[in-house]
Amino acid sequence: MNTVPFSLRRALLIAQNTLLEAARQKLLLFFLLLALGLVVGARWLRDFSFGAPELKFLADCGFGAMAFFGAALAIAATAQLFFSEIENRTALTLLAKPVWRAEFILGKFLGVVAVAAFFCALLTLLLMAVLRWREGELMREFPEAFAQGGVVSYGMVALGGLLQWLKLAVLVALSLLVASFAQTQLFTIVTGFFVFVICHLQYLAQDAYTRAGSWFAQNVGGGLASVFPNFQLFALADSLNAADAPPTAHVVRVALYAAGYCAVACALAVYCFRKREI
Amino acid sequence: MSANVSSKLSAAVPAVEIRGLVKDFSSGLRGLKLRAVDHLTLRVEAGQVYGLLGPNGSGKSTTIKALLGLLEPTAGECAIFGVPSGRVEARREVGYLPESPYFYRHLSGRELVRFYARMCGMGGATLESRIDEVLALVGLTAAADRRVGTYSKGMLQRIGLAQALVHDPRLLILDEPTAGVDPLGTAAITELILQLKARGKTVLITSHLLGQIEDVCDRVAILDRGKLILEGAVSDLVGRADRQALVVEALPENELAELRAWLAARGRKLETVETPRTRLDRIFLERVGKKDA
Amino acid sequence: MRAGLRTTVFVIASLAVAGMLLNRVAAPAWSAAREKQPALKLDSSMTAAGQGVTLALLGGFRALVADAAWMRMFARWEARDLPGVETLIHVVSAIDPRPAYFWMNGARIVAYDLPVWRIEAAGGFEAVTKPVQERIRREQAQQALRHIEAAMAFHPASADLWIERGSIELNKLGDLAAAAESFRRAWEQPHAPFYAARLHGELLRRQGKKTEALAWLIQLHPLQPPDPEEPKADVVLARIRALERDLGVPPARAFQPAR
Repeated sequence: MNTVPFSLRRALLIAQNTLLEAARQKLLLFFLLLALGLVVGARWLRDFSFGAPELKFLADCGFGAMAFFGAALAIAATAQLFFSEIENRTALTLLAKPVWRAEFILGKFLGVVAVAAFFCALLTLLLMAVLRWREGELMREFPEAFAQGGVVSYGMVALGGLLQWLKLAVLVALSLLVASFAQTQLFTIVTGFFVFVICHLQYLAQDAYTRAGSWFAQNVGGGLASVFPNFQLFALADSLNAADAPPTAHVVRVALYAAGYCAVACALAVYCFRKREI
Repeated sequence: MSANVSSKLSAAVPAVEIRGLVKDFSSGLRGLKLRAVDHLTLRVEAGQVYGLLGPNGSGKSTTIKALLGLLEPTAGECAIFGVPSGRVEARREVGYLPESPYFYRHLSGRELVRFYARMCGMGGATLESRIDEVLALVGLTAAADRRVGTYSKGMLQRIGLAQALVHDPRLLILDEPTAGVDPLGTAAITELILQLKARGKTVLITSHLLGQIEDVCDRVAILDRGKLILEGAVSDLVGRADRQALVVEALPENELAELRAWLAARGRKLETVETPRTRLDRIFLERVGKKDA
Repeated sequence: MRAGLRTTVFVIASLAVAGMLLNRVAAPAWSAAREKQPALKLDSSMTAAGQGVTLALLGGFRALVADAAWMRMFARWEARDLPGVETLIHVVSAIDPRPAYFWMNGARIVAYDLPVWRIEAAGGFEAVTKPVQERIRREQAQQALRHIEAAMAFHPASADLWIERGSIELNKLGDLAAAAESFRRAWEQPHAPFYAARLHGELLRRQGKKTEALAWLIQLHPLQPPDPEEPKADVVLARIRALERDLGVPPARAFQPAR
């Protein structure tokens, strides 16, 4: 009997189809327009004209839009693109082909992560453009505040965008894990949202358990807290100042952390999905 | 093992083998079991057109899903060309058209068939010509570049057939292929099944419209509430070997009396005299066929 | 049902084990990020801002929420709403203590704008007696200094905060000694502007500590950066010469700048 080995090519085909489906749907466009509106509109929300700190406000708005709408997109797109396969029974036709369920899960993950990458890249580029434009204006308006040149490190902005994307990739993997056993799209979206909030607060629990004296609290409590990734870790480049840039080794570690959580969450999604009745 | 012996052995392997299949579904909070398939055993030989018949809810689609590894049996075993259904390899030689198919609406018909072809490992120079070939086979060449979202029900059924056929599988599983399809579409599907049979393919069809597939099936199994109630060759089940029908031009009464007397002299009896009837779908097909021509 | 429970336990246990291992991978990056990430203190003023704000904070949008609160403070400032401005200055820095900008500008508003509003609310500069005006100014300046003191816990190496402190001590309290000390501390911080050191010398002179001022400026002179607008101007040397004249330093012992 000739075996059918796991094929990355098939997973990529599913990813490509998922990306195409997302692109041809209104969902991506909707979140993209909202986020773009916030980034560009931040310039006119209020006329600050108080010099360099205004650029921080613009960056906060940009990254806030990326984080909020990105999270909404990651959760909604994962749930929608996964459940559309189940509810529309396209998964029936697909999984009746010589396709591993692991390829299906990986394909869905890569497809939504590609959507998130497109979203983050576009917003980062737009944010850079808005910052550059406003920085130029402020430099002319307040030359003394910019005596030592521009204050925005565009490398930091790019790094911020990359870290946001890594965070969204983990969120996609966790949402996919929920979707793999959830019965409804709504449950996946609501749970995904709670996971997003818990992941931002995870460090508080981690801190509390680390401070706790007992072995039990540190290991069992710490272990339970580790079920959720620490999303505050991705705020490593939360500054426009190049002097605040984290060491490359730290960025690599955060990337490994994200990749590790993605791999584990996807593997568990495959485990939960392996016997799901289609 | 010689090639000859090997080919004989592989010929002996049934296309589909289902042994003691049971499928229970839990329903309600108390986990009450609903038995969809009840100890079903079937064997479909390679090259046959096999009809799995029964009313709605008789367990046909559940059987097909278990056969394709899309759901796990509560008990029993299924195999395709000797490969257990749980294995991905079992689906390599299968083309499947689900009931009321729904495909990616954002793709064109051609993109859809290409997607499934590539999922089956096809590629290279022959891919596009094979896609054109199956699109022509199902009569969708003109609509190939339209979004699937704009297709009618009959066209969805045909694009479903195209994706099932594109990798030239040895076994084709068609779940209610004629449900909701007009007589022209039904005739086209029937014609296609006969073509596939002529090319040595095995076809497993499920339908609740018993009469529609009677004409094309070699064997049928009839299910009711998950249980097999009848199985056999169509000719054995519906034909009567001890009776014959002769169709002649209309006889006047006196000649009919002579015929009766002639039969009686030989110890035979003329049981029924009736006017042959055609079927409404045949009349429709003849009229529409003439108009199209 | 039992299978579902088994799957749930397996999933949670797998994530916990993986998480513990991955925490070790990220530990160095996290301890560096943690230092920049002060704990979120959700006090009553913030929870009163509404559940939406609390949720946004919990969702990791503290920078954005702080910005929004700062904008609200700005609107309250335009309306001269003293309690609103005071509360929001506190809220902004509590939500996100990382930007020194919020602290500094908050302190400035408390020290410079609020006394004017208080005096105007009490009847205006004509009606309020000078001693009362002075008391108000001192109270506001002390409040601003406490705000800067709190900021320094988060920004111990900020030259800007020391300069702001020195400015308030100088302009609002008239405390030359304290201001001189603050400008000296500012000069000790990394990336400190040169004028902080110059102001320290100037304040020594104004206190009558001319010898100390001269010694300070002489030591400072080689570090003086060129003025981009007037590259040939030597402000420190001009101050040195003035002090030498005041102190009667003979020309032979006068400071000779290195060329």
